Amino acid sequence: MKNINPGDFVELIFPNKSYKGILLESPKDEKGVILLKLDSGYNIGFKKKDISEIRLIKKAEKKEEKIEIKIPQEKPKIAMIITGGTIASKLDTKTGAVSPLTKPEEFFKFYPKIFDKVSLEKIIVPFTKASEDMDFKDWKKIAKITYNLLNNKEIKGVIITHGTDTLHYTASALSFFLQNLNKPVILTYSQRSIDRASSDANLNLQCSALASISDIAEVLLVGHATMNDDFCFAILGTKARKLHTSRRDAFKSVNRKPIAKIWPDKIEILSEHKLRNEKNKVKLDAKFNNKVALIKFYPGQNPDILEFYHKNKYEGLVIEATGLGHVSSLSKNSFLKKIKKLTKDGIIVCVTSQCIYGRVDPYVYSNGRELEKAGAIFLEDMLSETAFVKLGWILGHKEWKKNKQIIKQKMLTNFAGEINERLDEQFHSL
Amino acid sequence: MESIQEPQEIDYEKIGLKCGLEIHQQLDTKKLFCNCPSILRKDEADYKIKRKLHLVAGESGEVDVAAKYEASLDKEFIYEAYKDTNCLVELDEEPPHEINKEALEIALQISLMLNAKILPITQIMRKTVVDGSNTSGFQRTVLIAQDGFVETSFGKVGIATICLEEDSARIISKEGNVAVYRLDRLGIPLVEIATKAEIKNPSQAKETALKIGEILRKCKVKRGIGTIRQDINLSIKGSSRIELKGFQDIRNIEKAIEIEVKRQLDLIKKNQSAPEVRKVLADGTSEFLRPLPGPSRMYPETDLPLLKISRDIINKSKKNLKPKEEKIEGLNQEMVSLLFKEKKFEDFKELSKIFYNPKLIFKMLLIYPKEISSRKKIKNLEKKFSLDVLSSIIENIKKGVISEGQIKNILEKIAEGEDLNLIIKKSKPEEIENLEEEIIKIIKQKPGLSFNAYMGLIMKKFEGKFSGKEISDLLKKHFKT
Repeated sequence: MKNINPGDFVELIFPNKSYKGILLESPKDEKGVILLKLDSGYNIGFKKKDISEIRLIKKAEKKEEKIEIKIPQEKPKIAMIITGGTIASKLDTKTGAVSPLTKPEEFFKFYPKIFDKVSLEKIIVPFTKASEDMDFKDWKKIAKITYNLLNNKEIKGVIITHGTDTLHYTASALSFFLQNLNKPVILTYSQRSIDRASSDANLNLQCSALASISDIAEVLLVGHATMNDDFCFAILGTKARKLHTSRRDAFKSVNRKPIAKIWPDKIEILSEHKLRNEKNKVKLDAKFNNKVALIKFYPGQNPDILEFYHKNKYEGLVIEATGLGHVSSLSKNSFLKKIKKLTKDGIIVCVTSQCIYGRVDPYVYSNGRELEKAGAIFLEDMLSETAFVKLGWILGHKEWKKNKQIIKQKMLTNFAGEINERLDEQFHSL
Repeated sequence: MESIQEPQEIDYEKIGLKCGLEIHQQLDTKKLFCNCPSILRKDEADYKIKRKLHLVAGESGEVDVAAKYEASLDKEFIYEAYKDTNCLVELDEEPPHEINKEALEIALQISLMLNAKILPITQIMRKTVVDGSNTSGFQRTVLIAQDGFVETSFGKVGIATICLEEDSARIISKEGNVAVYRLDRLGIPLVEIATKAEIKNPSQAKETALKIGEILRKCKVKRGIGTIRQDINLSIKGSSRIELKGFQDIRNIEKAIEIEVKRQLDLIKKNQSAPEVRKVLADGTSEFLRPLPGPSRMYPETDLPLLKISRDIINKSKKNLKPKEEKIEGLNQEMVSLLFKEKKFEDFKELSKIFYNPKLIFKMLLIYPKEISSRKKIKNLEKKFSLDVLSSIIENIKKGVISEGQIKNILEKIAEGEDLNLIIKKSKPEEIENLEEEIIKIIKQKPGLSFNAYMGLIMKKFEGKFSGKEISDLLKKHFKT
């Protein structure tokens, strides 16, 4: 295999036959397999150990891809932060390798339509990660870059591309980390890879471009509103949740109306929001205490699990409880008893609901009352993921952390629209 | 009567005809990459989805993507879907499920019957399609086997590839920039069989198509109009490559090739032969459809693992290769089943092609051999009653050389080691003598009739035993005007 690389035209020799084609990269999970692209375009595979020899016929031609495209200037300038995910990766069909898009020219090649509205001034790639691999450090990094961009007079708005799986965590983190917002911060995604003509990225990016130069100074998640390729919803960062594994309209605005409905060429405002004010200077408050955890309660769960957090010096827990905010109270598996112990030892315990839609309420059943009495903080209609991020952020502030009453008060203060005091009937719709 | 001018015979070898077939056959299973039933519907769709496709910049070297993009601007596709027979997979809202096992098994069975080599590791591919007929913008297809062949009376025809792929959505209407497609057909498994361009003349093309058709019908495939589509690739010396699309009727193949070859001969003279795709019309002529596209752009279906076809799967599909019950006019279902059980169905079909008499052929294949074998205590009659021997018996029946009544007797003699040709020669003179006697007798009994009237009487009496020519030759001898 010396001097033979993916992309080269080769002949695979077997004891009794041979095949010619372009050598491809072996799939990551199939290291023992050699893949070959035949002239017909089909890929076939062979076990490495069955091949007697790989003969080089012709080295791959190295074509320097020159894209001579004049990107329209004279348009409002925006910046883009690429963090990975489907939306900004391209597939090299010759070798099978995936790599991120990093240049405006490449974006133009894939998404020429966004340049109708904006000029892409800067593209920053702090890292490229699957979103499930991200953590609070990555949120901090993104927040810092965004903060710098927002305070750049040239830039009208920021688009952040992100994998979908934990996008709503990042959206929440940015909502708390970026204070006194002056311009739009738009997070967007794609559920269908961009190599396919049907990719949802096209509409999502067009609508994001329009949102990034709009007057909405919020952290917004912009993506398909339905399965149709016609308009997107702009959802407030703290109220967005991924509610479908694969549909284009995976994200829904929970317990709150979307902020706006966005077509590629127009915006319809649906609910109140902060307005663009370029005189504002954005403040970065990216503190985070990672000794927090999000725990889902289930029937029959052994409360000993809470001991782990206690022992490992966790400072705050969000319990995603049942219904209005309940955990078991019967003696054998009493969560309640354990929580009482934790709060007594100074651990902050918050309660959200696994119902996703609706508000928690401690007073309807005695279990709830007892949980509240034990010191648990009931977080209104806050999403569990948002609550987790918020708790880490609050506990990241030394001046607040000292006092349990202040923590409770901060957790129940509406910093970024995470609490909605008025739920009307139309918020519960999928 | 006006004499019809004989069409000029084309010497296909001389003009260097190279012809290949591509056959697409729908399989009778659930959809290839989801669990929806493969049902085409006429009732109104339950809901519609609006989509756009954007051109994707592809492999390097591709020309002016922006310009191409402009061309596709604002095309809108409406997809009609049914709540109970479509799911998120067809809507391009859910990744494909694992390939349908039954469909894979059928594709393997077809590959085996076409003597093709099955690939142990292969990759499901995305073939770029941007006319909107696939919600995803591509068609999923996988190469299953290569390098097979079918036998024809003109020699072997190589099978280049056997692929398993998903059918596209049906076009319902197209107006301006809006195309409406129905998702009922999208995802139905298709087996695509491509022969090598080794077919040398139109009859061989037809024979190849029939042979492949026969093999397909032994498997669980869909039947009826639209479930099989045949395309032809052809070229002659000095011509471009032409694709003829959309044969519904196999009988048109010979005619269509002949017509196209003539057209090409004419175009070559004018130096105008260009590669193109043509649609075949009902009368065998064809019309321009589009220029011949370049090789299709294919890249891996990244949502699915490599497809590994193990020995076990192949063996299982071999075992399950149960031919579907066919109906044969003149035989009851029990007899048909017996033909399959005794593996005589293929022979039955071969013999029926010579002379269609299902009951007789059934007896020759299954009843007489058993009787003879038990009565004469002779084993291994299979060899003696080979298809060639039986064919030649049937041919002689057709010609009227021997009668149905003699068959059992002839088979017995063959079983005892006699040569068929000798038996026929021996039996013939006796028979002819009988015939001559009978002719004389009839002329005596009914004098004064016309030649044709005597022919009629004798033919009736010796129905099937003698050919018209044999009777008329003898009659001429004795008939006096």
